[in-house]
Amino acid sequence: MSKPFTLDELLAIAVAREIHDYENVVLGVGVPMTAGALAKQLLAPHATLMMESGIVDIRPLLSLNNIADAHSARGFSYATDLFSAFTATYRGFVDVCFLGVAQVDKYGNLNTTVIGDYNKPDMRLPGSGGAADFISYAKRTVLTMRGGTFVNKLDYFTSPGYLEGGDSRDKTGLFPVGSGPSALISTKGIFRFDPVTKEMYLATIHPGVSLESVKKDIPWDLKVSPDLSQTERPTDEEIDFIRNFAPELSAGRELTVELRNAALRKKAELRAGKNA
Amino acid sequence: MAEVSGKVMSAKEAVAQFVHDGDELVIGNYTVGSCAELVYEITRQGKKGFTLYSQSGIFDVEVLVAGGCVDRLVTTYVMRSGGKKGGSAVERALKAGTLQIEDYTNFEYNARLVAGMHGFSFMPVLEGVMVTDIFRRRGFMGEKKFQVIKCPYTGKDILTVPAAAPDVCVIHVQRADAEGNAQYWGAMGSVAAAALASKRIIVSCEEIVDHDIIRSSPHLTIIPAYRVNAVVEVPWGAHPTEVLGYYNVDTFMYNGLFTAAAATASGLSDWMDEWVYGCPDRAHYIDHYIAKFGSETLDELRAKPFYSAPADYGAAFTSHWDRNGRERSMGVTLPELEKLLQERGKVYE
Repeated sequence: MSKPFTLDELLAIAVAREIHDYENVVLGVGVPMTAGALAKQLLAPHATLMMESGIVDIRPLLSLNNIADAHSARGFSYATDLFSAFTATYRGFVDVCFLGVAQVDKYGNLNTTVIGDYNKPDMRLPGSGGAADFISYAKRTVLTMRGGTFVNKLDYFTSPGYLEGGDSRDKTGLFPVGSGPSALISTKGIFRFDPVTKEMYLATIHPGVSLESVKKDIPWDLKVSPDLSQTERPTDEEIDFIRNFAPELSAGRELTVELRNAALRKKAELRAGKNA
Repeated sequence: MAEVSGKVMSAKEAVAQFVHDGDELVIGNYTVGSCAELVYEITRQGKKGFTLYSQSGIFDVEVLVAGGCVDRLVTTYVMRSGGKKGGSAVERALKAGTLQIEDYTNFEYNARLVAGMHGFSFMPVLEGVMVTDIFRRRGFMGEKKFQVIKCPYTGKDILTVPAAAPDVCVIHVQRADAEGNAQYWGAMGSVAAAALASKRIIVSCEEIVDHDIIRSSPHLTIIPAYRVNAVVEVPWGAHPTEVLGYYNVDTFMYNGLFTAAAATASGLSDWMDEWVYGCPDRAHYIDHYIAKFGSETLDELRAKPFYSAPADYGAAFTSHWDRNGRERSMGVTLPELEKLLQERGKVYE
C-alpha cells in the first residue's frame, strides 16, 4: 500500500496517466501543468509539452504560474507564437489537450465564460482562452475538474464536447472524426464517454469516495460502469514528485491561502518591527 | 543609455502624446510581463472611452476598467482577480452596465491582429466554434463579430473574423535601442502581432541598450524601429508581473495584496489610490514599495542569469577586395578596374 495522498494529488496523478509516451501535449492552466511535468518525469519521458503561448518542449522545474511561464524552466526548445500553436493543433499535430471545467453537461460540453446572463452576469468567468479551439482540434481532450459544476444546461456554451451526443459531433463535419473529450477527471472519480451515446459515465471512483457523494453533484441520472472499480492508487514516487514540484497543489486551496496569509502577516510584522 | 533620440521619453510624455480619449487601445503583452507602468500612467492621466483589446486580461485590464478608462472590452480571457468567491472590476462594470464585452477564443482574437498586422481585411479562423455561443451570441460588434464565407477553392464554409488595427499599442519588452528596435523573448504569444497591427506603438523596456547589441541579435527584435513612436526606459516596468531574464512575478504583491484588494470595488479603489494614483511614476512606485516592504522583497525576485548561446552572425569576409586589394572574383585591383573601364570607353566625363 502506498503512502497516504490527498484527492488533489490523486487528481493530478490520474491526469498525468492520460499522457502516453511520444505524445504532443497541450497543457492548460493549473492541475494539468503539474500533471504534465509528472508525466514527463516519470511516465512519458518522450512526450512534448507545449502551451498556447508558443512555449514548446518545456521541462518545468517547478509548478507553472500560467500558460506563458518560462520562468519555471531553464529554457525550452521552440519559441513559436500563439497563432502557430493553434494552427499546429488545427493541422492535427496535438494528441491530447487538457482543459479545466467550470460548468459541464453530460456530453462534455463546457462553459467557462459566464454564470447567469451574458451581458449582466451573476458571475463572470475567465472566458474561452484557448479551450474552444483546442477541444475542437486536439485528437482527444481530458477535462479536469476541481470545483466546477455538472449541469443539465450550460449558461453559456463555450467549448464543444459531443454536442447532443451520439454522432452529432462528427455529423457537423467541423471536427476531426473521433476527436472530443476522452475523460473527465475530478477529485471524486474518473468519468469516460460511452462510445455510442457519448454520454458521460463513471468509470472509476477514487479511494475513500462513496458513489452517493459522486451522484449528489450530478443533476441527471448518472450512468455508472457495470464493472466500476477504484481508481488506481498513486505510487510513492508519484506522490513525492507532486509534493516537491507543486507543494501548493498538495496543500490544497484552503490551506495554501491560510499559510500564505500567515506568512504575509509575519513578513509585515517583521518589517514593522524593523521600521520602529 | 544610448545616444539621445527623439523617441526616448518618459511614460508621462509618451502617454500624453500618443494615447487619446476614445482610442482603440491594445495591451500588447500576453499573460506575463504586462506593461504595468504604461497602463498605470494611462489611468493616472484619466484617459477614457477606450475600446480595449486584451488577449488575456490580468491586473492590467482590472486597473484600466476600475479607473473608468474602458467602454468596451475585446478579449478571450479575463482573470477573476478577486478569486473564485470575490469579484473583479470587469464583472462589477458588466453588472453596472458601464462596460460592454466581446468574447473571442485565443486564436480568433489573435487572428484579428494578424490580419491587421499584414494589412488584410479579415482572417479565416477554426470553424469548430460555429456550434458554440462564442459564434452565436454577439456583443457590441453584432454581425461584424464573425462572417461565414465560401472557400473559392473547396466550396466549404469558412469562418472569418474582421481585422483589428488598434489606434495605439502599449507594450513592455526586455530591451530596446533609442530608435525603438524592441527585443522580446520568452513566451511569444500574440505580442508582435498586437504591436504590428497598431497604428502607434509605445514601447517600454527594462533597459535601453546600444544599437550594436540589437544589430548582433536581430532574431530577438519583434518590432522594428520605424514602427515605434516612443521608447520609455522603465526598470521594474512590468512589476508585479514577470520579465524573463530580469525578475519573477511578485506573488507577495500580486496574490497577496492585489488579489485580496480586487475582490471588492472599495478594496481595489484603495489599492489603486496607493499604488497607481499615489505614485507619480515607476521610480516613486518602487521607492514606496521598498520603504514599505524592504528592498530584500524585491531582490529575491531578481533573475539569475541563464544566457542564450550566442548566435554567430559572422561571415567569411566583409569586403569584395582581398588582402592584396584584388576583387575576389574578377581578380583585379580597383585602379586596374578603373583603367579598364577607361580603356573600353565605359566612363563619361
